[in-house]
Amino acid sequence: MRAKRLVALAVAAVSVVSMSVAVAAPSSAATNFCTVTDLKTAGGMDALVAAAKKEGTLNVITLPRDWANYGEAMDLFTKAFGIKIVDDNPDGSSAYELQTIATAPAAKQPDVVDIGVSALNTVTGAGRPSIFAPYKVSTWNHIPNVWKDPAGAWYGDYSGIIALSYDSTVSPAPTKISDLTNPAYKGMVALGGDPTAAQMSFLSVFAAAIAKGGSVTNIQPGLDFFKTLKSNGNFVAVNGNGENYAAGAYKISLSWNFNAPGAIASAKKAGKTLKFVIPTDAVLQGTPYIQAINKKAPHCAAARLWEEFLYSENKGITSAKVTAADKKLSGSKLFAKIMGGQNIFVSGGATPINAPAMIKAKSIIDGPEGLNIPKGAKIVQPNPDQQDAAKKLVVAQWPTL
Amino acid sequence: MNQPEISTLDRKGASKRGTLSGQSLGLILGVLPLVAFMGVFFFWPLWSVLWSSFEDNFGAFTLKNFEVALGEPYRTAFSNSITLGLISAITSAIPGAIIAYIIESRGSQKLRQFIASISSVLSTTGGVPLAFMFIAAYGAEGSATALLRAFGINIYAGSFTLYSLAGVIFVYSYFMVPTMVIVFSPAVHGIRREWQEAAKNLGATTAQFWRRVGIPLLFPSFISSLLLLFAAAFSAYATARAMTSGSVALVPLMIGNLVDGNVINDQMNLGKALAMGMVIVSLVAMIPYLLIQRRASRWQQ
Repeated sequence: MRAKRLVALAVAAVSVVSMSVAVAAPSSAATNFCTVTDLKTAGGMDALVAAAKKEGTLNVITLPRDWANYGEAMDLFTKAFGIKIVDDNPDGSSAYELQTIATAPAAKQPDVVDIGVSALNTVTGAGRPSIFAPYKVSTWNHIPNVWKDPAGAWYGDYSGIIALSYDSTVSPAPTKISDLTNPAYKGMVALGGDPTAAQMSFLSVFAAAIAKGGSVTNIQPGLDFFKTLKSNGNFVAVNGNGENYAAGAYKISLSWNFNAPGAIASAKKAGKTLKFVIPTDAVLQGTPYIQAINKKAPHCAAARLWEEFLYSENKGITSAKVTAADKKLSGSKLFAKIMGGQNIFVSGGATPINAPAMIKAKSIIDGPEGLNIPKGAKIVQPNPDQQDAAKKLVVAQWPTL
Repeated sequence: MNQPEISTLDRKGASKRGTLSGQSLGLILGVLPLVAFMGVFFFWPLWSVLWSSFEDNFGAFTLKNFEVALGEPYRTAFSNSITLGLISAITSAIPGAIIAYIIESRGSQKLRQFIASISSVLSTTGGVPLAFMFIAAYGAEGSATALLRAFGINIYAGSFTLYSLAGVIFVYSYFMVPTMVIVFSPAVHGIRREWQEAAKNLGATTAQFWRRVGIPLLFPSFISSLLLLFAAAFSAYATARAMTSGSVALVPLMIGNLVDGNVINDQMNLGKALAMGMVIVSLVAMIPYLLIQRRASRWQQ
């Protein structure tokens, strides 16, 4: 009796699945976009755009609009291709992305993820089943080898530099991290979040270490620096987010340079003037965030078009300039006309992963003003192993600093 | 035993012989949803947390999670969380109990209703909005700070900061005092004026009445209310997180970082071991309550 019912249920489930597959299958029935690994096997840009348009939706996850200019990237993608983007939990963490892949029902699965390197290590280590579908974008050769999986399962997309952000009323204006101990800044200095939970805040402590004589293998001076800030009353343990800034809870913070355009705009709405500067005593470049296509992606073609778009180096037009006539262009012509994701990251202040190749080819646009790297400064970038070692110290010391 | 109540629900059946099975069937059917609810939302999660707290990342048995959970900084986190729970429970329970007594014994019907509705609104305020409310009011540039400064009181003259353990206790009192008023009022209501009059007629002073009758009667309820407040403060997450950026070690925040952080990865089961630690602390906190309850029920019969 029970077995019979189970069989009936299974049959029903199978037929539902096959029905939905039939609906989702593109007109060119020969191509299964869930298994194509590059533009060539996808049948070219026209075929990929057509299939993605047919799917009509792209599920992204934890992409804040003012983070690395993702707002413009999503707007442009939606406006040009007519594909709706569903952004699940924009302020969520990398761990949330991976948990969603592990537990969410099929329709709620993200098509693509944007995760930190440490989260990546938890799903790509030895003995772990692969959760990503390999795909190599057209500009694959421009991605530095250290930041991509040889098989195409994952690839870095952009990185940031730790910048000082401060309210225009702060006097004197800070220019380096070691300035922050100035007694004039009592109760003004905050971090973006908890360094034992947020990568940006963790790397802010790292930047402080560099400023105070530490190195990629020595974060201790950074912890000591915040201990000093805490004991002299300059540090306030409030979350350095936009609302708390608007409420006057803090005036100086450390943040990714690529958050500057969005943060400056929101500050303006709250009637404040926020300024960003790259500290002269520490230019700390973070490890890139990682892009990958979910193996369980419900919109396989749209996911692959999104990656092609994010890694495109076109200078092209922004979302505000897309016209009705543009939308009638063929897929490949439209794709060639719009700005590529790599340059969208640049206009948000981030460093795109393809930057070295783009600088060589002069295909990179100018970034926002005022975030110039100080002349003669040495750019420091701790590798994942160095970060893991530093994290252990921060996790052990920060809560009882 | 609640049998009298059940038989009033089913008086017709109660008069017949052999209705006990019918009664217990009704009881089982009535309790079933509660059991199912407890199973799905309490026992099953508890079991799964317990189970995986003994697992490593690949599902093999290990005691390592508990070994780490007993070391630093988690040891400090437990001591901070217990301190936070105790201090904020006591500092909120005493004013809450006094307010409840004054309102119940002296207040008019209207005032009682007014306080009850205000309390129920305030007691449900929490999370990030609560933290932001206090940041906006009592932060360095907050409106309340500015108002106090206008009266010559500078709360930031000393070493006070809202973003500390003391600050968190201060903020928690906002919802914990009203919670105490709500949970303690029925107990105060149960003290009848006649008892006080009877005690007086027998020659007791007011102080004697309170020492011999009032406080012993209210004590079990007070302790159970205190326990409720302790649990609320001990386990609260979002408000503390928004106010401390992890600079005060608290167990719920550390569990959050282990489960959902961008910095620490692959240690979710350590988080579950810490969660089991919280369960054990809660169980230990129940013991004095159970002892007092047993004593109280002896003479309540």
